[in-house]
Amino acid sequence: MKEMEDNEPGKSSRRNFLRKVGVGVGAISVAGIAGSSLLKGNETKAKSGEKVKLLSTDGKLVEVDRDDIKSAKEIVAELKEEARAGLPNRKFGMVVDLARCKNARKCVDACQEGHLLPKDHEWIKLYLLQDDSTTAKYWFPRPCFHCDKPMCVSVCPVGATYKRPDGIVLIDNQRCIGCKFCMTGCPYSARVFNWKDPEVEIPEGHVYNPETNIPPVEGTVGKCVFCADKLRKNELPRCVTACPMGVIYFGDILEDTVTNGVETERFSKLMIDRAGFRYREDLGTLPSVYYLPPAERMFPVESGLEDSDESIKGRYKNVGPR
Amino acid sequence: MKKELIYTILFLSLLPFFSVNLFSQEVTVISPYIQLQYFKNTDDQRILQTALTYSKNRMELPLPGMEITFFKGGDKKESIATILTDNKGIAMFELSSEMKLNTERDGMWAFSSEFKGNDTIEAGTSEITVKDVRLEMILSVVDSIKTITVNAFVNENGAEKPVSGEAVKVYVPRMFSFLPISELTLDDAGTASVEFPSDLPGDKDGNVTIIAKFEENMVFGNVEKRETLMWGLPTDYSVPKTHRALWTKTAPKWMIYTLSVLLAGVWGHYIFALVSLIRIRIDAKRKAKEEYRI
Amino acid sequence: MEADKKLISDLTPEIEKTSLKWYLTFFIFFVFFAVGIYGLIQQIDKGHIVTGMRDNVVWGFYIVNFIFFMGLSYSGALISGVLHLFHTGWRKPIIRMAELITIISLIIGPFFIFFCIGRLDRLYFLFTHPRIQSPITWDVIAILTDLFGCFIYLYLSFIEDFAILRDYPDLKVAPWKKKLYKTLSLGFTGTEKQRKILSNARMVMAAMVIAIAIIVYSVLAWIFGVTLQPGWHSTIFGPYFVIAAVFSGTGLLIILMWIFRKVYHLEEYITKRHFVNVGVLLTVIAAFYGYFTFSDYLTKWYGSIKMDSILIDKLFTDYYSLFIFANYIGIILPCIIIAIPKFRTIPNITIAAIIAITALWVNRYIIVIPTLETPFLPIQDTRPDWISYSPTWIEWSLTLAGVSVFAMLFMLVSKIAPIISISEMQEKDKIEILK
Repeated sequence: MKEMEDNEPGKSSRRNFLRKVGVGVGAISVAGIAGSSLLKGNETKAKSGEKVKLLSTDGKLVEVDRDDIKSAKEIVAELKEEARAGLPNRKFGMVVDLARCKNARKCVDACQEGHLLPKDHEWIKLYLLQDDSTTAKYWFPRPCFHCDKPMCVSVCPVGATYKRPDGIVLIDNQRCIGCKFCMTGCPYSARVFNWKDPEVEIPEGHVYNPETNIPPVEGTVGKCVFCADKLRKNELPRCVTACPMGVIYFGDILEDTVTNGVETERFSKLMIDRAGFRYREDLGTLPSVYYLPPAERMFPVESGLEDSDESIKGRYKNVGPR
Repeated sequence: MKKELIYTILFLSLLPFFSVNLFSQEVTVISPYIQLQYFKNTDDQRILQTALTYSKNRMELPLPGMEITFFKGGDKKESIATILTDNKGIAMFELSSEMKLNTERDGMWAFSSEFKGNDTIEAGTSEITVKDVRLEMILSVVDSIKTITVNAFVNENGAEKPVSGEAVKVYVPRMFSFLPISELTLDDAGTASVEFPSDLPGDKDGNVTIIAKFEENMVFGNVEKRETLMWGLPTDYSVPKTHRALWTKTAPKWMIYTLSVLLAGVWGHYIFALVSLIRIRIDAKRKAKEEYRI
Repeated sequence: MEADKKLISDLTPEIEKTSLKWYLTFFIFFVFFAVGIYGLIQQIDKGHIVTGMRDNVVWGFYIVNFIFFMGLSYSGALISGVLHLFHTGWRKPIIRMAELITIISLIIGPFFIFFCIGRLDRLYFLFTHPRIQSPITWDVIAILTDLFGCFIYLYLSFIEDFAILRDYPDLKVAPWKKKLYKTLSLGFTGTEKQRKILSNARMVMAAMVIAIAIIVYSVLAWIFGVTLQPGWHSTIFGPYFVIAAVFSGTGLLIILMWIFRKVYHLEEYITKRHFVNVGVLLTVIAAFYGYFTFSDYLTKWYGSIKMDSILIDKLFTDYYSLFIFANYIGIILPCIIIAIPKFRTIPNITIAAIIAITALWVNRYIIVIPTLETPFLPIQDTRPDWISYSPTWIEWSLTLAGVSVFAMLFMLVSKIAPIISISEMQEKDKIEILK
């Protein structure tokens, strides 16, 4: 089975180069990261004096004291700890306006692009639902709900998936053993499995971080992460900004504010004025994604099928009450 | 001979058309969108900001690393700075308080920014005129109602004249965006006020920041005043470290106890069986020794 | 230890000589096993995409086989454990087979889990980073405990036999086997004290084996029962799985009785009475199993809960023939065959057992897969292999390989120790201490 630290084809030439220039073999030094995170910081302990040559981000060869370099393992461990702690004093939530969604699928495209997903992995999935033959059809974007009582986290035998204090449920792809119990545990079918090698190009100098969760790892589970990496930079998740209709609102529920990039509303007002609800509240998982009912649509539901190609349209052939 | 001549003439006459196809290249020259804006922040610092972007597939993309030259003055332009755009396509320049700004004929300042263009991007300019305004925001509790009062004045011929009819927006900044509280219209006295909601969450102590601003005003540009005070509801959000649940790191106590008791019970019996095996071996050895002696 | 001469001469030839038929049969099973291994290598190389499992039906043949083989292990707990505690005499010739079924299927079962795991190189995380709240962790603990306990129990039952074989002077076996008997018998000589210790230990372990088997199978049932999926979220799953396991274990026992009786000419020891008794056991358990199944589906069908209705619909349309076979034919036919005295012949009872065990495998399939094909959010996809599950040749070959390994292990064990416990068959008052 391949591990992140093993030789991957794209990296072999750089690795060979580093070897030739005499880089220390013991610690696998990942030199492609911005310098500050690579170095341990101002420590006043005596240095061994041993120098190591590394390749910096702008392609220059620099000499660094061996004691100052963090090994890749240390960096990943630190990032993982950060990922488990989350952002302090935040509780993230999402509101999806079903009245505006018309299956543009820009959210799906942006998500797949941002997380280097193969085309058949959809972390946010669009359903066309109809509860009863007398009720309306509506497009239903379903990201991971990041439940407050997550079944997936409860059943994971190795703790690879976890809920952090700011509400986000993440997956550590280096811990996941691929038993798929979480996939049977999730009642919303929010998780996908990497059945084969995803064959995506890993960007240069990339270090594994559960918040970005790239690249997908064969034999492990993946799902929407509310773009936790972007949240750290105070940026909205990719699906939120990509939606041309402003369907998805996102925000810190503690601040009682959600925004779709253009409009900003008070979350509580949106819920009460537009009668927000959660999908299958009776399952008791307490999702963090709220929906606004598909009332007073400005366009017919069928318009969502117009621009799609056959492989997408064919999905919705048998839509109807179950 | 004649035939060959005709062919040669034909070929030569057609050559220019081919050469155009052979030697011409597709060069898409980007037509950028350049926008200059004037900002005056709560500390009365004046900032000029130019955004240089272009449109692709209905998406607005930035143009980083481009040289923008800022000018002051309308008819007589004077270059004041040259700034490179950052990775968001934005170039900013702060006007120092010592800078001498001449008002134009209409009593407004004029600024412009210019992008010279290059091989792939067209040139562009953006001009604005701005009138200096003094914006005041007063936060007070009137009859136990939290009230925001805004006043705006312009300096005309050495005297302060109130601004009327302009819109002032009130926001509370949040993590990703600004939450609109109200949009006020200044009356003839240059004043407007609004009630601040009593149920807005603040940080853990209840602090909120309130911003009153002229937003992209045609005359005044962007002018804001902001203040932080304890007008919000305190939000206490802490998850205890040893939260015992099915989905946390520490399991519920009853689960641990039940498992321990069951395991201890079963493996205890196993140990009993293993000890029996050892006892059988000991007894057999003892018996064998006895028989050997007999 | 001396033993009845006739007993020994009847029960040891299998240990002494190996017939050509044995080698041939073993070879055929080995070929199936090899094909399975080839399939496994393909799966490890190309990824799980070569199986029929996809994002909705994430658990397929492998989990079905896992539950099935774990269920077979129940026969040991019942026949050997329960009957031992009740001192039933007729159990004696068949307890060894029952205990062997237990151990061997307990060894094979977990392998099917390994086939289903996406990252086998990280399997040890189950021990280095376990989460007590997860039913899979409970399962790991339970299976290890069960395996260990059954090994001890089996070994306890073997000690006397090894002592007899060790002391039998005319035993024509290879020297390594003789040495094996000597070591494993722990020098047991049959004294009053030793017998008492052994008998106590066996009593305790018999009780433990029953208890642990119930716990193991309930934990396995709760892996499904605690999820929210329609069809799985049933309160009856714990007892239901336990009963179904006993059902399959008993069926397998009958089949093996028939095979060994034929192959090793043990007609004198495994008589029609044994078949009838175990057959009656099978019928009684079939009745319980039918009752639990009926109860489960009645409550699902009667209520109006949509997800239950959708599942029942699927069972009665896409899975109709399988459902009828597993839950009607599989229960009623064996009951008829064994309940009516006219039909109670040894071959008929064996056929009833074969039907029972196949029906149970299909029942497991019907429990696992249709639920995964009817999730809360409907499957909206265009690819047929993502909409419904269809197992590939790799999954079939690994299933066959599992059965083959079961057979091969049984065959190998029968070459080391007699398949009928000699010590059990003896009368108690003929024991002497041999010099």
